[in-house]
Formats: sequence, structure tokens, C-alpha cells
Amino acid sequence: MFLNAVIIIVQEILEAALLISVLLVFTYLFQKVWGKSFILKTSWVAYSIVLGVIGAALYSHYTGQVSQWFDYVGQEIVNASIHIISLFLILLLAFAVPPGNMSARLVERSRLTTICMIGIVLLAIIREGSEIMLYAGGVASQPENFTPVVFGAVIGGGIGVSAGVLLYYGLISLNAKWAFRVCLILLALISGNMGSQAVLLLTQADWLPFTPIAWNTSSILAEASIPGHLLYALIGYEATPSVLQVGFYLFGIVMIVLSPLFRKTWSSNHSLVTPV
Amino acid sequence: MKNTHSRFLIFSSIVVISLFGYVAIAATAEIELIIKDHLFFPAVLEIPAKQKVRIRIINQDPTPEEFESFELNREKIIVGNGQAVIFIGPLEPGRYPFFGEFNPKTAQGVVVVK
Repeated sequence: MFLNAVIIIVQEILEAALLISVLLVFTYLFQKVWGKSFILKTSWVAYSIVLGVIGAALYSHYTGQVSQWFDYVGQEIVNASIHIISLFLILLLAFAVPPGNMSARLVERSRLTTICMIGIVLLAIIREGSEIMLYAGGVASQPENFTPVVFGAVIGGGIGVSAGVLLYYGLISLNAKWAFRVCLILLALISGNMGSQAVLLLTQADWLPFTPIAWNTSSILAEASIPGHLLYALIGYEATPSVLQVGFYLFGIVMIVLSPLFRKTWSSNHSLVTPV
Repeated sequence: MKNTHSRFLIFSSIVVISLFGYVAIAATAEIELIIKDHLFFPAVLEIPAKQKVRIRIINQDPTPEEFESFELNREKIIVGNGQAVIFIGPLEPGRYPFFGEFNPKTAQGVVVVK
């Protein structure tokens, strides 16, 4: 019960922690590039965590009702919608980047960026937090499991949060050019994962047609193994993804590659990281 | 002329949609899977190969359970005293284990595709 609690909590927290760290590093870098004219305060993260926890409590409370919607596939439809909205917000964020260092409409762009960041983290916490709450709520009603699960949850939560903090400080200690590039790669993988997860959920609900398995890497890296679990939580690794899932994963990555954020990060003159 | 064209479009859409609906209803068999005392009943689900199947999971325990299977690529929480539906397949013949993530020691089962 103890180890199981650690695994469940680490998995849920890691996904949100990675997202929060990457967006906080972007916040730090954007502030560095555009200074005070780009109004993006780090406090956005506090709003999204508070709202996210409230949202997660509400969602976990109503999961029973939600699951009856659309002939008992309500959870899939709601969760797929959350993934699709998150993907949309991530892309909006990547496309809202100012074209130049002294560009016009910086205030509007910074406001849009703040809204996107709050939305992305809020939705991630609703999704992951509600699962933790459902799990914890169930365990609390079984007295014999209470102590091992509480300890497991504390340790699992500690591991997940520490990983996020380490990633954040690791990234901001890099020089800005590389911090931007690593964050962008992570954002592209997160974006691809959102698309792929939405497809998987809609297929599970029979709202999307079945597509064959694209490949099977379970003999190389099993999903049930610890590295498999970690990669699943971080970038959505699946040993047997369907063709449609792979397609939407690639769609998420390609959209990030097409975004102004990518162009500026990877352009040879590094316009983002060498402010005028 | 235009009117005829749009009528034809509407008519053919209705035919196509109802065909899809008919195929969906006709082809999808439903099986029941019950969770009780953190165990799956039946623990072995036999389904035919290359067919989509609808699994209705009924949780008779007061606690939530998460149906999970790496082989089937499925994951879903079923609240205490609640039910849920999961679609699987069409699958190739073989064994596809599943388990309850919240009680993995006891809640174990397998889908056998023949």
C-alpha cells in the first residue's frame, strides 16, 4: 500500500510539477528579455494553484455524476476537453510571443501570456489533483490503509515537488539561450502529449474510431517499469500508441516548431536572448 | 437544381449516419465486470478477436478503483458504488492483463482474446 501510494502520487504530481517549472522558467526568461514593459508577474502561479486545488476538489466531488454523462463516458469527454483546451492555451502562448524586442502591444501580449499560463496550470492541477483526491478519499475510508498511504503520499509528494524545484533551478542556472531551448523542447513534448492523451481518451469513449497500434516498444521499455512510469508522467510515453495518437503527438510538436517562440529561440541571431 | 442537390446531400447524410449508428449498435457487444472487495468478477474476460467490445464496470465497493491496463492502453477511475463504460478492441488474439491501480495486490484480471 505504501509503495503503491508513492507511485500514484509521484506520477500525478510530476506531470503538474514539470509543467509549472517550465512555465516559471519561461516567465523568468520573458522578464529578462522584455523587462518591465512585459507585465508577467511570477505570482500567476499562486493564482493557478489556488484555483486549481478548488477546481480539483469540485471535480473529484462530482466525478460520480460526471461519469454518468454521455452514457457513462463522461470522464473521458471532460478529460479530453481539458487536454484539448490545455493544448490550445500552450499554442496560444507560443504564438503570442512579441515579434521583436521593442515590439508594440507588449501589454496586451503579456496579459494574454499570463492568462494562458494560469489556464494551463489550473487545468493540469484540476486533472491530476482530482485523481489524487479521489484516491485519498477512498483510502481514508479504509482505516487499516490510512498510515501507510499518508506516509506514501507525503514522500511521493515530496519527490514530485523536489523534482520540479530541481528542474527550475537547473534550467535558470543555464545561460538564457540554452534555458530557452530546453524549455521549448519540453513544451513541444508536453504539447504533443496533450494531443495524444485527448485522442486516447476519445478512443476509449468510442467517440473516435479505432486505429491500429503504430509500434510496440514494450520489450525495450515496459510501461510498468519505473523508467516507463516516469517517462509516461513526463512526456506521455506509451509502449503501444495508436497511429492517431502518434499523429496528434506530432501535430503538437509541429505547431510549436511553427510558432514565433520557436523561431525566436532557434534563430541564429538569438533575438530573444540578447536584448537590445 | 440547387434545392435537389441539397436534398440529396441531406438524404445521403441521414443514410450514412444511420448506417454508422446501425453498425455501432449491431457490432458492439457489452460485457459486465464487477468490482467487489477489491477483486474483479469475472477475473478472466473472454472476448472474440478483431471486434470492438464495450465493458461496463460496476464498482460495488464503497471505495473508488482505477481500472488500468498497459497492454490495453486503458485507464479509468470508477467511483465507489458507481459504474463506468470502457471500449476496447478490435484486438489481436492474446492475453491482456488489467488491474486496479488503487488495490493492485488483489484487483487483478485478464482479457483473453480468442
